[in-house]
Amino acid sequence: MMSEPTGVIHDIGYRHYEGERLGRGSAFAALAVHSLRGAFGLGRTARAKIMPLLLVTIMLLPAVVSIAIMALVKQQGMGYHNYASIMQPVLAIFLAAQAPYLVAPDLRFRVLPLYLSRPLAMIDYLGAKLAAMSVAMFLVLALPLTLLFAGELLVDPPGPTHTTEYFSALGGGVILAVLLASLGLALASFTPRRGLGVASVIAFYLFTSVVSGVFFGVFMSLGRDAAAKWAMLINPFFLVDSVQVALFGTAPSNGEGYPPGLWPCLFVLIVLAVATVGLVLRYRKAASS
Amino acid sequence: MTASATTCIATEGLTKRFPRVTALEDLTVTAGAGVTGLVGANGAGKSTLIKILLGLLPATSGRASVLGMDAATRGAEIRRIVGYMPEHDCLPPDVSATEFVVHMAQMSGLPRTAARERAADTLRHVGLDEERYRPIGGYSTGMRQKVKLAQALVHDPRLVFLDEPTNGLDPRGRDEMLALIRRIGAEFGISVLVTSHLLGELERVCDHVVVIDAGRLLRSSSIGEFTQATQAIAVEVEDGLQSLADRLAGVGEAVAVQGRTLTVQVPADADPGRAYDAVRDAVCDLNLNLVRLEQRRGHIEDVFKEPAA
Repeated sequence: MMSEPTGVIHDIGYRHYEGERLGRGSAFAALAVHSLRGAFGLGRTARAKIMPLLLVTIMLLPAVVSIAIMALVKQQGMGYHNYASIMQPVLAIFLAAQAPYLVAPDLRFRVLPLYLSRPLAMIDYLGAKLAAMSVAMFLVLALPLTLLFAGELLVDPPGPTHTTEYFSALGGGVILAVLLASLGLALASFTPRRGLGVASVIAFYLFTSVVSGVFFGVFMSLGRDAAAKWAMLINPFFLVDSVQVALFGTAPSNGEGYPPGLWPCLFVLIVLAVATVGLVLRYRKAASS
Repeated sequence: MTASATTCIATEGLTKRFPRVTALEDLTVTAGAGVTGLVGANGAGKSTLIKILLGLLPATSGRASVLGMDAATRGAEIRRIVGYMPEHDCLPPDVSATEFVVHMAQMSGLPRTAARERAADTLRHVGLDEERYRPIGGYSTGMRQKVKLAQALVHDPRLVFLDEPTNGLDPRGRDEMLALIRRIGAEFGISVLVTSHLLGELERVCDHVVVIDAGRLLRSSSIGEFTQATQAIAVEVEDGLQSLADRLAGVGEAVAVQGRTLTVQVPADADPGRAYDAVRDAVCDLNLNLVRLEQRRGHIEDVFKEPAA
Protein backbone atom coordinates (compact mmCIF):
# COMPACT_ATOMS: atom_id res chain seq x y z
CA MET A 1 0.00 0.00 0.00
CA MET A 2 1.24 3.43 -0.86
CA SER A 3 0.97 6.01 1.86
CA GLU A 4 -1.48 8.80 1.30
CA PRO A 5 0.14 11.94 -0.11
CA THR A 6 0.34 14.53 2.61
CA GLY A 7 0.77 17.59 0.47
CA VAL A 8 -0.50 18.66 -2.92
CA ILE A 9 0.97 21.34 -5.12
CA HIS A 10 -1.67 23.43 -6.76
CA ASP A 11 -0.95 25.58 -9.76
CA ILE A 12 -2.95 28.58 -8.76
CA GLY A 13 -2.17 30.37 -12.00
CA TYR A 14 -1.77 34.08 -12.37
CA ARG A 15 -3.10 36.24 -9.57
CA HIS A 16 -3.84 39.90 -10.00
CA TYR A 17 -2.52 42.40 -7.50
CA GLU A 18 -5.40 43.90 -5.59
CA GLY A 19 -3.37 45.65 -2.92
CA GLU A 20 -2.34 49.20 -2.36
CA ARG A 21 -0.55 51.23 -5.04
CA LEU A 22 1.46 54.02 -3.50
CA GLY A 23 2.41 57.17 -5.33
CA ARG A 24 5.51 59.02 -6.38
CA GLY A 25 6.36 59.92 -2.79
CA SER A 26 6.83 56.36 -1.66
CA ALA A 27 8.81 55.45 -4.77
CA PHE A 28 11.02 58.45 -4.04
CA ALA A 29 11.50 57.32 -0.45
CA ALA A 30 12.18 53.73 -1.49
CA LEU A 31 14.80 54.84 -4.01
CA ALA A 32 16.44 57.21 -1.52
CA VAL A 33 16.63 54.51 1.17
CA HIS A 34 17.88 51.95 -1.34
CA SER A 35 20.61 54.35 -2.51
CA LEU A 36 21.55 55.35 1.04
CA ARG A 37 21.95 51.72 2.05
CA GLY A 38 23.98 51.15 -1.09
CA ALA A 39 26.29 54.04 -0.26
CA PHE A 40 27.32 52.12 2.88
CA GLY A 41 27.51 48.84 1.00
CA LEU A 42 24.34 47.43 2.57
CA GLY A 43 22.49 45.05 0.26
CA ARG A 44 25.61 44.78 -1.86
CA THR A 45 28.51 42.37 -2.07
CA ALA A 46 30.96 41.98 0.80
CA ARG A 47 33.61 43.75 -1.27
CA ALA A 48 31.41 46.82 -1.59
CA LYS A 49 31.18 47.06 2.21
CA ILE A 50 34.95 47.28 2.80
CA MET A 51 35.51 50.86 1.63
CA PRO A 52 32.62 52.57 3.48
CA LEU A 53 33.38 50.59 6.65
CA LEU A 54 37.06 51.48 6.49
CA LEU A 55 36.39 55.18 5.90
CA VAL A 56 33.78 55.40 8.65
CA THR A 57 36.27 53.75 11.02
CA ILE A 58 39.00 56.24 10.08
CA MET A 59 36.54 59.09 10.62
CA LEU A 60 35.79 57.76 14.10
CA LEU A 61 39.42 57.32 15.16
CA PRO A 62 40.16 60.98 16.08
CA ALA A 63 36.95 61.09 18.11
CA VAL A 64 37.95 57.96 20.01
CA VAL A 65 41.45 59.32 20.63
CA SER A 66 40.00 62.66 21.77
CA ILE A 67 37.72 60.93 24.25
CA ALA A 68 40.71 59.03 25.61
CA ILE A 69 42.65 62.32 25.97
CA MET A 70 39.66 63.89 27.74
CA ALA A 71 39.41 60.95 30.09
CA LEU A 72 43.14 60.69 30.85
CA VAL A 73 44.50 64.24 30.86
CA LYS A 74 41.20 66.07 31.34
CA GLN A 75 41.77 68.25 28.30
CA GLN A 76 39.72 68.75 25.18
CA GLY A 77 41.26 66.86 22.27
CA MET A 78 39.88 67.53 18.84
CA GLY A 79 37.44 70.41 18.32
CA TYR A 80 34.02 70.10 16.73
CA HIS A 81 34.25 73.00 14.29
CA ASN A 82 37.40 71.85 12.50
CA TYR A 83 36.67 68.10 12.41
CA ALA A 84 35.49 68.25 8.80
CA SER A 85 38.40 70.42 7.65
CA ILE A 86 40.99 68.17 9.28
CA MET A 87 39.35 64.99 7.97
CA GLN A 88 38.66 66.41 4.50
CA PRO A 89 40.71 63.83 2.54
CA VAL A 90 38.71 61.02 4.14
CA LEU A 91 35.40 62.73 3.35
CA ALA A 92 36.57 63.39 -0.20
CA ILE A 93 37.53 59.74 -0.67
CA PHE A 94 34.14 58.62 0.67
CA LEU A 95 32.43 60.96 -1.78
CA ALA A 96 34.62 59.80 -4.66
CA ALA A 97 34.01 56.15 -3.83
CA GLN A 98 30.24 56.30 -3.36
CA ALA A 99 28.87 59.09 -5.60
CA PRO A 100 29.71 57.19 -8.82
CA TYR A 101 28.06 54.06 -7.40
CA LEU A 102 24.79 55.96 -7.01
CA VAL A 103 24.59 57.28 -10.57
CA ALA A 104 26.97 55.50 -12.94
CA PRO A 105 25.51 51.95 -13.10
CA ASP A 106 22.02 53.21 -13.98
CA LEU A 107 23.54 55.15 -16.87
CA ARG A 108 25.98 52.48 -17.95
CA PHE A 109 23.55 49.56 -17.87
CA ARG A 110 20.68 51.76 -19.09
CA VAL A 111 18.44 51.07 -16.11
CA LEU A 112 17.31 54.71 -16.19
CA PRO A 113 14.55 54.10 -18.80
CA LEU A 114 13.02 51.53 -16.43
CA TYR A 115 12.80 54.13 -13.66
CA LEU A 116 11.37 56.73 -16.04
CA SER A 117 8.72 54.34 -17.38
CA ARG A 118 7.31 54.29 -13.85
CA PRO A 119 5.47 57.05 -11.95
CA LEU A 120 8.83 58.44 -10.83
CA ALA A 121 9.88 61.55 -12.78
CA MET A 122 13.47 62.43 -13.64
CA ILE A 123 13.43 65.13 -10.96
CA ASP A 124 12.32 62.55 -8.35
CA TYR A 125 15.11 60.23 -9.38
CA LEU A 126 17.72 62.98 -9.06
CA GLY A 127 16.20 64.22 -5.82
CA ALA A 128 16.31 60.76 -4.28
CA LYS A 129 19.94 60.26 -5.33
CA LEU A 130 20.94 63.71 -4.01
CA ALA A 131 19.11 63.10 -0.75
CA ALA A 132 20.77 59.71 -0.32
CA MET A 133 24.27 61.03 -1.01
CA SER A 134 23.74 64.07 1.24
CA VAL A 135 22.47 61.96 4.12
CA ALA A 136 25.34 59.52 3.65
CA MET A 137 27.93 62.33 3.73
CA PHE A 138 26.24 63.87 6.74
CA LEU A 139 26.18 60.58 8.64
CA VAL A 140 29.87 59.97 7.98
CA LEU A 141 30.64 63.35 9.55
CA ALA A 142 27.92 63.50 12.19
CA LEU A 143 28.69 60.06 13.61
CA PRO A 144 32.19 60.95 14.96
CA LEU A 145 30.98 64.39 16.08
CA THR A 146 28.15 62.79 18.02
CA LEU A 147 30.48 60.18 19.48
CA LEU A 148 32.83 62.96 20.55
CA PHE A 149 29.97 64.89 22.12
CA ALA A 150 28.66 61.81 23.92
CA GLY A 151 32.21 61.19 25.17
CA GLU A 152 32.49 64.75 26.40
CA LEU A 153 29.18 64.46 28.27
CA LEU A 154 30.27 61.20 29.89
CA VAL A 155 33.84 62.21 30.78
CA ASP A 156 32.75 65.71 31.71
CA PRO A 157 36.15 67.44 31.51
CA PRO A 158 36.66 70.73 33.35
CA GLY A 159 35.20 73.81 31.73
CA PRO A 160 31.82 74.33 30.04
CA THR A 161 30.33 71.70 27.74
CA HIS A 162 30.74 72.55 24.05
CA THR A 163 27.05 72.13 23.16
CA THR A 164 26.93 75.16 20.86
CA GLU A 165 30.09 74.08 19.05
CA TYR A 166 28.64 70.61 18.56
CA PHE A 167 25.41 71.88 17.00
CA SER A 168 27.26 74.50 14.94
CA ALA A 169 29.47 71.75 13.55
CA LEU A 170 26.36 69.68 12.74
CA GLY A 171 24.85 72.71 10.97
CA GLY A 172 28.03 73.18 8.98
CA GLY A 173 27.96 69.43 8.34
CA VAL A 174 24.53 69.68 6.72
CA ILE A 175 25.77 72.39 4.34
CA LEU A 176 28.94 70.48 3.59
CA ALA A 177 27.02 67.25 2.95
CA VAL A 178 24.58 68.86 0.50
CA LEU A 179 27.33 70.77 -1.31
CA LEU A 180 29.65 67.78 -1.62
CA ALA A 181 26.82 65.45 -2.63
CA SER A 182 25.63 67.68 -5.46
CA LEU A 183 29.19 68.31 -6.66
CA GLY A 184 30.08 64.62 -6.44
CA LEU A 185 26.95 63.41 -8.23
CA ALA A 186 27.23 66.05 -10.94
CA LEU A 187 30.85 65.09 -11.61
CA ALA A 188 30.18 61.35 -11.43
CA SER A 189 27.12 61.47 -13.68
CA PHE A 190 29.10 62.76 -16.64
CA THR A 191 30.67 59.39 -17.22
CA PRO A 192 28.83 56.08 -17.19
CA ARG A 193 32.01 54.34 -16.02
CA ARG A 194 32.34 54.12 -12.27
CA GLY A 195 36.14 54.11 -12.26
CA LEU A 196 36.30 57.33 -14.25
CA GLY A 197 33.74 58.86 -11.91
CA VAL A 198 35.89 58.01 -8.88
CA ALA A 199 38.91 59.50 -10.60
CA SER A 200 37.11 62.68 -11.62
CA VAL A 201 35.75 63.37 -8.12
CA ILE A 202 39.17 62.78 -6.54
CA ALA A 203 40.83 64.88 -9.23
CA PHE A 204 38.36 67.68 -8.57
CA TYR A 205 39.12 67.62 -4.84
CA LEU A 206 42.89 67.52 -5.37
CA PHE A 207 42.70 70.27 -7.97
CA THR A 208 40.67 72.65 -5.80
CA SER A 209 42.73 71.98 -2.70
CA VAL A 210 46.07 72.37 -4.50
CA VAL A 211 44.97 75.47 -6.43
CA SER A 212 43.62 77.13 -3.30
CA GLY A 213 46.81 76.21 -1.41
CA VAL A 214 49.09 77.57 -4.13
CA PHE A 215 47.17 80.83 -4.52
CA PHE A 216 47.04 81.19 -0.74
CA GLY A 217 50.82 80.78 -0.50
CA VAL A 218 51.55 83.14 -3.38
CA PHE A 219 49.26 85.90 -2.11
CA MET A 220 50.58 85.53 1.45
CA SER A 221 54.19 85.87 0.23
CA LEU A 222 53.19 88.99 -1.69
CA GLY A 223 51.69 90.35 1.50
CA ARG A 224 48.18 90.44 0.06
CA ASP A 225 46.41 88.77 2.96
CA ALA A 226 42.88 89.64 1.85
CA ALA A 227 43.35 88.02 -1.55
CA ALA A 228 44.90 84.99 0.14
CA LYS A 229 41.77 84.57 2.26
CA TRP A 230 39.59 84.65 -0.84
CA ALA A 231 41.81 82.02 -2.47
CA MET A 232 41.06 79.71 0.47
CA LEU A 233 37.42 79.52 -0.65
CA ILE A 234 38.33 77.59 -3.80
CA ASN A 235 38.57 74.50 -1.62
CA PRO A 236 34.95 73.39 -0.99
CA PHE A 237 35.78 72.30 2.58
CA PHE A 238 37.12 75.73 3.51
CA LEU A 239 34.25 77.35 1.63
CA VAL A 240 31.78 75.53 3.87
CA ASP A 241 33.95 76.26 6.91
CA SER A 242 33.76 79.96 6.07
CA VAL A 243 29.98 79.70 5.89
CA GLN A 244 30.03 78.00 9.29
CA VAL A 245 32.15 80.87 10.63
CA ALA A 246 29.81 83.47 9.12
CA LEU A 247 26.57 81.80 10.25
CA PHE A 248 27.46 80.22 13.58
CA GLY A 249 30.45 82.28 14.68
CA THR A 250 32.81 79.33 15.10
CA ALA A 251 36.57 79.74 14.97
CA PRO A 252 38.00 79.46 11.43
CA SER A 253 39.71 76.12 11.00
CA ASN A 254 42.27 77.37 8.48
CA GLY A 255 43.96 79.50 11.13
CA GLU A 256 43.87 82.65 9.01
CA GLY A 257 40.19 83.54 8.87
CA TYR A 258 38.02 84.21 5.84
CA PRO A 259 36.79 87.22 3.91
CA PRO A 260 34.15 88.97 6.03
CA GLY A 261 30.45 89.08 5.29
CA LEU A 262 28.03 86.62 3.80
CA TRP A 263 29.85 86.25 0.48
CA PRO A 264 30.75 82.61 1.21
CA CYS A 265 27.04 81.82 1.64
CA LEU A 266 26.36 83.26 -1.79
CA PHE A 267 29.20 81.21 -3.27
CA VAL A 268 27.81 78.03 -1.74
CA LEU A 269 24.41 78.78 -3.24
CA ILE A 270 25.98 79.46 -6.65
CA VAL A 271 28.00 76.23 -6.57
CA LEU A 272 24.86 74.31 -5.52
CA ALA A 273 22.86 75.88 -8.34
CA VAL A 274 25.54 75.13 -10.93
CA ALA A 275 25.88 71.52 -9.80
CA THR A 276 22.11 70.97 -9.77
CA VAL A 277 21.58 72.55 -13.17
CA GLY A 278 24.46 70.44 -14.52
CA LEU A 279 22.82 67.30 -13.13
CA VAL A 280 19.40 68.16 -14.59
CA LEU A 281 20.86 68.95 -18.01
CA ARG A 282 22.88 65.74 -17.93
CA TYR A 283 19.81 63.67 -17.12
CA ARG A 284 17.60 65.44 -19.58
CA LYS A 285 20.04 64.34 -22.25
CA ALA A 286 20.27 60.82 -20.81
CA ALA A 287 16.48 60.49 -20.61
CA SER A 288 15.94 61.42 -24.23
CA SER A 289 18.53 59.05 -25.62
CA MET B 1 -19.01 45.48 -25.54
CA THR B 2 -18.59 48.95 -26.92
CA ALA B 3 -15.48 49.94 -28.79
CA SER B 4 -14.44 52.50 -26.20
CA ALA B 5 -14.55 49.99 -23.35
CA THR B 6 -12.04 47.73 -25.02
CA THR B 7 -9.78 50.32 -26.61
CA CYS B 8 -6.34 50.16 -25.01
CA ILE B 9 -4.43 52.43 -27.31
CA ALA B 10 -5.66 55.07 -29.70
CA THR B 11 -3.72 57.59 -31.73
CA GLU B 12 -5.07 60.27 -33.98
CA GLY B 13 -2.95 61.96 -36.61
CA LEU B 14 0.11 61.33 -34.45
CA THR B 15 3.23 62.93 -35.86
CA LYS B 16 6.69 63.05 -34.33
CA ARG B 17 9.51 64.91 -36.00
CA PHE B 18 13.06 64.97 -34.74
CA PRO B 19 15.46 67.61 -36.02
CA ARG B 20 16.63 65.35 -38.82
CA VAL B 21 14.03 62.61 -39.22
CA THR B 22 10.31 62.17 -39.12
CA ALA B 23 9.68 59.17 -36.89
CA LEU B 24 5.89 59.09 -37.11
CA GLU B 25 3.74 60.63 -39.77
CA ASP B 26 0.01 61.20 -39.29
CA LEU B 27 -0.48 57.84 -37.59
CA THR B 28 -4.04 56.93 -36.67
CA VAL B 29 -4.46 53.50 -35.10
CA THR B 30 -6.50 51.85 -32.39
CA ALA B 31 -5.77 48.66 -30.52
CA GLY B 32 -8.16 46.79 -28.30
CA ALA B 33 -7.68 44.31 -25.49
CA GLY B 34 -5.63 41.19 -26.14
CA VAL B 35 -2.32 40.91 -27.91
CA THR B 36 -1.57 43.54 -30.53
CA GLY B 37 1.46 43.23 -32.74
CA LEU B 38 3.26 46.32 -33.97
CA VAL B 39 5.31 45.39 -36.98
CA GLY B 40 7.81 47.43 -38.89
CA ALA B 41 11.37 47.40 -40.06
CA ASN B 42 14.08 48.82 -37.81
CA GLY B 43 13.62 52.56 -37.67
CA ALA B 44 9.95 52.39 -38.65
CA GLY B 45 8.98 54.35 -35.52
CA LYS B 46 7.94 51.54 -33.18
CA SER B 47 10.04 52.59 -30.19
CA THR B 48 9.15 56.24 -30.70
CA LEU B 49 5.46 55.34 -30.63
CA ILE B 50 5.93 53.46 -27.34
CA LYS B 51 7.77 56.41 -25.78
CA ILE B 52 4.96 58.75 -26.78
CA LEU B 53 2.36 56.34 -25.40
CA LEU B 54 4.27 56.22 -22.09
CA GLY B 55 4.13 60.01 -21.97
CA LEU B 56 7.92 60.27 -22.05
CA LEU B 57 8.15 62.02 -25.41
CA PRO B 58 5.89 64.85 -26.58
CA ALA B 59 4.31 64.41 -29.99
CA THR B 60 4.88 67.09 -32.62
CA SER B 61 1.19 67.01 -33.45
CA GLY B 62 -1.79 64.73 -33.09
CA ARG B 63 -3.09 62.89 -30.05
CA ALA B 64 -2.40 59.61 -28.31
CA SER B 65 -4.31 57.97 -25.52
CA VAL B 66 -3.67 54.87 -23.45
CA LEU B 67 -6.48 53.18 -21.52
CA GLY B 68 -8.59 56.26 -22.09
CA MET B 69 -5.96 58.68 -20.71
CA ASP B 70 -4.24 61.34 -22.78
CA ALA B 71 -0.55 60.46 -23.02
CA ALA B 72 0.52 64.09 -23.23
CA THR B 73 -1.10 65.19 -19.98
CA ARG B 74 -1.62 62.07 -17.85
CA GLY B 75 1.69 60.30 -18.41
CA ALA B 76 2.30 59.66 -14.72
CA GLU B 77 -1.10 57.98 -14.31
CA ILE B 78 -0.52 55.88 -17.41
CA ARG B 79 2.89 54.76 -16.14
CA ARG B 80 1.32 53.52 -12.90
CA ILE B 81 -0.75 50.88 -14.66
CA VAL B 82 1.39 50.15 -17.69
CA GLY B 83 4.51 48.01 -17.93
CA TYR B 84 7.42 48.56 -20.30
CA MET B 85 10.08 46.18 -21.49
CA PRO B 86 12.67 48.11 -23.50
CA GLU B 87 14.44 46.74 -26.51
CA HIS B 88 17.91 47.38 -25.17
CA ASP B 89 19.72 45.74 -22.29
CA CYS B 90 18.68 47.41 -19.05
CA LEU B 91 19.86 45.17 -16.23
CA PRO B 92 22.61 45.86 -13.69
CA PRO B 93 24.97 42.86 -13.54
CA ASP B 94 25.80 42.83 -9.84
CA VAL B 95 22.35 42.28 -8.31
CA SER B 96 20.18 39.18 -8.40
CA ALA B 97 17.00 39.02 -10.45
CA THR B 98 14.94 38.84 -7.26
CA GLU B 99 16.48 41.98 -5.73
CA PHE B 100 16.18 43.84 -9.00
CA VAL B 101 12.53 42.96 -9.62
CA VAL B 102 11.61 43.75 -5.99
CA HIS B 103 13.26 47.14 -6.35
CA MET B 104 11.44 47.85 -9.61
CA ALA B 105 8.12 46.82 -8.02
CA GLN B 106 8.72 49.36 -5.27
CA MET B 107 9.49 51.97 -7.88
CA SER B 108 6.05 51.23 -9.33
CA GLY B 109 4.49 52.03 -5.96
CA LEU B 110 4.11 48.60 -4.38
CA PRO B 111 4.76 48.40 -0.62
CA ARG B 112 7.86 46.38 0.27
CA THR B 113 6.17 43.13 1.38
CA ALA B 114 3.83 43.16 -1.61
CA ALA B 115 6.80 43.87 -3.86
CA ARG B 116 8.57 40.76 -2.53
CA GLU B 117 5.55 38.52 -3.09
CA ARG B 118 4.82 39.88 -6.53
CA ALA B 119 8.47 39.59 -7.59
CA ALA B 120 8.60 35.92 -6.58
CA ASP B 121 5.29 35.20 -8.33
CA THR B 122 6.24 37.04 -11.50
CA LEU B 123 9.68 35.45 -11.77
CA ARG B 124 8.02 32.05 -11.41
CA HIS B 125 5.54 32.86 -14.16
CA VAL B 126 8.24 33.94 -16.60
CA GLY B 127 10.14 30.75 -15.81
CA LEU B 128 13.13 31.78 -13.69
CA ASP B 129 13.69 29.33 -10.88
CA GLU B 130 16.69 28.87 -8.62
CA GLU B 131 18.91 31.07 -10.78
CA ARG B 132 16.95 34.12 -9.72
CA TYR B 133 19.11 34.42 -6.61
CA ARG B 134 22.32 34.65 -8.64
CA PRO B 135 23.68 37.97 -9.96
CA ILE B 136 22.22 38.90 -13.36
CA GLY B 137 25.73 39.32 -14.81
CA GLY B 138 25.97 35.55 -15.29
CA TYR B 139 22.65 35.11 -17.11
CA SER B 140 22.13 33.98 -20.69
CA THR B 141 20.30 36.24 -23.15
CA GLY B 142 17.13 34.19 -22.70
CA MET B 143 17.21 34.61 -18.92
CA ARG B 144 17.88 38.33 -19.23
CA GLN B 145 14.88 38.74 -21.48
CA LYS B 146 12.79 36.95 -18.85
CA VAL B 147 14.00 39.32 -16.13
CA LYS B 148 13.21 42.29 -18.36
CA LEU B 149 9.74 40.87 -18.91
CA ALA B 150 9.29 40.20 -15.18
CA GLN B 151 10.09 43.80 -14.22
CA ALA B 152 7.45 44.97 -16.73
CA LEU B 153 4.82 42.67 -15.21
CA VAL B 154 5.68 42.83 -11.52
CA HIS B 155 3.21 45.60 -10.63
CA ASP B 156 0.36 43.76 -12.41
CA PRO B 157 -0.18 46.36 -15.12
CA ARG B 158 -3.30 46.47 -17.27
CA LEU B 159 -1.22 46.86 -20.39
CA VAL B 160 2.40 46.05 -21.24
CA PHE B 161 4.58 47.41 -24.01
CA LEU B 162 7.08 44.79 -25.11
CA ASP B 163 9.71 46.23 -27.43
CA GLU B 164 11.32 43.48 -29.52
CA PRO B 165 11.10 40.81 -26.79
CA THR B 166 12.43 38.05 -29.06
CA ASN B 167 15.52 40.01 -30.09
CA GLY B 168 18.67 37.94 -29.84
CA LEU B 169 16.94 34.74 -28.74
CA ASP B 170 17.62 31.31 -30.23
CA PRO B 171 14.66 29.44 -31.79
CA ARG B 172 13.79 27.70 -28.52
CA GLY B 173 14.02 30.88 -26.50
CA ARG B 174 11.92 32.61 -29.11
CA ASP B 175 9.20 29.96 -28.88
CA GLU B 176 9.21 30.22 -25.09
CA MET B 177 8.95 34.00 -25.20
CA LEU B 178 6.11 33.90 -27.74
CA ALA B 179 4.21 31.33 -25.68
CA LEU B 180 4.69 33.56 -22.64
CA ILE B 181 3.33 36.59 -24.52
CA ARG B 182 0.32 34.55 -25.57
CA ARG B 183 -0.25 33.58 -21.92
CA ILE B 184 0.07 37.17 -20.73
CA GLY B 185 -2.69 38.20 -23.12
CA ALA B 186 -4.96 35.21 -22.63
CA GLU B 187 -4.38 33.79 -19.16
CA PHE B 188 -3.07 36.80 -17.21
CA GLY B 189 -5.67 39.10 -18.76
CA ILE B 190 -3.08 41.81 -19.42
CA SER B 191 -3.27 43.53 -22.79
CA VAL B 192 -0.04 43.46 -24.74
CA LEU B 193 1.49 45.67 -27.39
CA VAL B 194 4.42 43.73 -28.78
CA THR B 195 6.76 45.00 -31.46
CA SER B 196 8.83 43.00 -33.86
CA HIS B 197 10.46 43.38 -37.21
CA LEU B 198 9.60 39.76 -37.98
CA LEU B 199 6.04 39.40 -39.15
CA GLY B 200 5.96 35.64 -39.04
CA GLU B 201 6.44 35.30 -35.31
CA LEU B 202 3.70 37.78 -34.42
CA GLU B 203 1.26 35.80 -36.52
CA ARG B 204 1.42 33.08 -33.86
CA VAL B 205 0.56 35.18 -30.84
CA CYS B 206 -1.36 38.28 -31.87
CA ASP B 207 -5.06 38.96 -32.12
CA HIS B 208 -4.47 42.11 -34.07
CA VAL B 209 -1.57 43.36 -36.12
CA VAL B 210 -0.59 46.92 -36.94
CA VAL B 211 2.01 47.35 -39.65
CA ILE B 212 3.89 50.61 -39.87
CA ASP B 213 6.58 51.62 -42.29
CA ALA B 214 8.61 54.82 -42.10
CA GLY B 215 6.22 56.15 -39.49
CA ARG B 216 3.12 55.63 -41.58
CA LEU B 217 0.32 53.14 -41.09
CA LEU B 218 0.49 50.40 -43.68
CA ARG B 219 -2.24 48.16 -42.39
CA SER B 220 -4.20 47.50 -39.21
CA SER B 221 -6.47 44.51 -38.94
CA SER B 222 -7.24 41.39 -36.96
CA ILE B 223 -5.03 38.38 -37.53
CA GLY B 224 -7.97 36.49 -39.06
CA GLU B 225 -8.36 39.07 -41.81
CA PHE B 226 -4.67 38.92 -42.52
CA THR B 227 -4.63 35.22 -43.23
CA GLN B 228 -8.17 34.46 -44.33
CA ALA B 229 -8.15 36.22 -47.66
CA THR B 230 -5.12 34.40 -48.94
CA GLN B 231 -5.87 30.83 -47.93
CA ALA B 232 -4.50 28.47 -50.52
CA ILE B 233 -3.54 24.85 -51.13
CA ALA B 234 -0.08 23.99 -52.42
CA VAL B 235 0.20 20.86 -54.55
CA GLU B 236 3.32 19.22 -55.88
CA VAL B 237 3.38 16.19 -58.16
CA GLU B 238 6.20 14.26 -59.81
CA ASP B 239 5.23 14.84 -63.46
CA GLY B 240 2.27 16.28 -65.25
CA LEU B 241 1.87 19.48 -63.27
CA GLN B 242 0.49 21.28 -66.30
CA SER B 243 -2.16 18.66 -67.05
CA LEU B 244 -3.27 18.81 -63.42
CA ALA B 245 -3.50 22.58 -63.63
CA ASP B 246 -5.60 22.35 -66.81
CA ARG B 247 -7.85 19.75 -65.27
CA LEU B 248 -8.44 21.82 -62.10
CA ALA B 249 -9.01 24.97 -64.11
CA GLY B 250 -11.52 23.00 -66.11
CA VAL B 251 -13.60 22.26 -63.00
CA GLY B 252 -13.58 25.93 -62.03
CA GLU B 253 -10.73 26.19 -59.50
CA ALA B 254 -8.46 29.23 -59.42
CA VAL B 255 -5.02 27.77 -60.02
CA ALA B 256 -1.56 29.17 -60.57
CA VAL B 257 1.69 27.38 -61.34
CA GLN B 258 4.79 28.68 -59.58
CA GLY B 259 7.83 26.60 -60.56
CA ARG B 260 7.17 23.04 -59.42
CA THR B 261 4.28 24.03 -57.18
CA LEU B 262 0.67 24.41 -58.09
CA THR B 263 -1.36 26.77 -55.94
CA VAL B 264 -5.11 26.46 -55.66
CA GLN B 265 -6.75 29.57 -54.24
CA VAL B 266 -9.62 28.98 -51.86
CA PRO B 267 -12.10 31.87 -51.67
CA ALA B 268 -12.74 33.05 -48.11
CA ASP B 269 -16.43 32.13 -48.24
CA ALA B 270 -16.04 28.72 -49.89
CA ASP B 271 -15.79 25.34 -48.18
CA PRO B 272 -12.08 24.40 -48.29
CA GLY B 273 -13.05 20.71 -48.35
CA ARG B 274 -14.43 21.07 -51.85
CA ALA B 275 -11.10 22.31 -53.20
CA TYR B 276 -9.21 19.45 -51.49
CA ASP B 277 -11.66 16.96 -52.97
CA ALA B 278 -11.17 18.42 -56.43
CA VAL B 279 -7.38 18.10 -56.11
CA ARG B 280 -7.63 14.54 -54.85
CA ASP B 281 -10.00 13.49 -57.63
CA ALA B 282 -7.88 15.17 -60.32
CA VAL B 283 -4.66 13.51 -59.09
CA CYS B 284 -6.39 10.09 -59.03
CA ASP B 285 -7.97 10.45 -62.44
CA LEU B 286 -4.71 11.54 -64.08
CA ASN B 287 -2.81 8.81 -62.19
CA LEU B 288 -0.15 11.24 -60.94
CA ASN B 289 2.34 10.73 -58.08
CA LEU B 290 1.49 13.22 -55.37
CA VAL B 291 4.58 14.61 -53.59
CA ARG B 292 3.09 17.35 -51.44
CA LEU B 293 -0.35 18.57 -50.53
CA GLU B 294 -0.54 21.23 -47.88
CA GLN B 295 -2.62 24.06 -46.65
CA ARG B 296 -0.83 27.32 -47.17
CA ARG B 297 -2.07 29.99 -44.82
CA GLY B 298 -1.44 33.46 -46.05
CA HIS B 299 1.52 34.99 -44.29
CA ILE B 300 1.41 38.50 -43.03
CA GLU B 301 4.57 39.17 -44.98
CA ASP B 302 2.17 39.45 -47.89
CA VAL B 303 1.00 42.84 -46.70
CA PHE B 304 4.32 44.23 -47.80
CA LYS B 305 3.76 42.87 -51.29
CA GLU B 306 0.39 44.52 -51.56
CA PRO B 307 0.25 48.20 -52.37
CA ALA B 308 -0.09 50.32 -49.25
CA ALA B 309 -3.68 51.02 -48.34
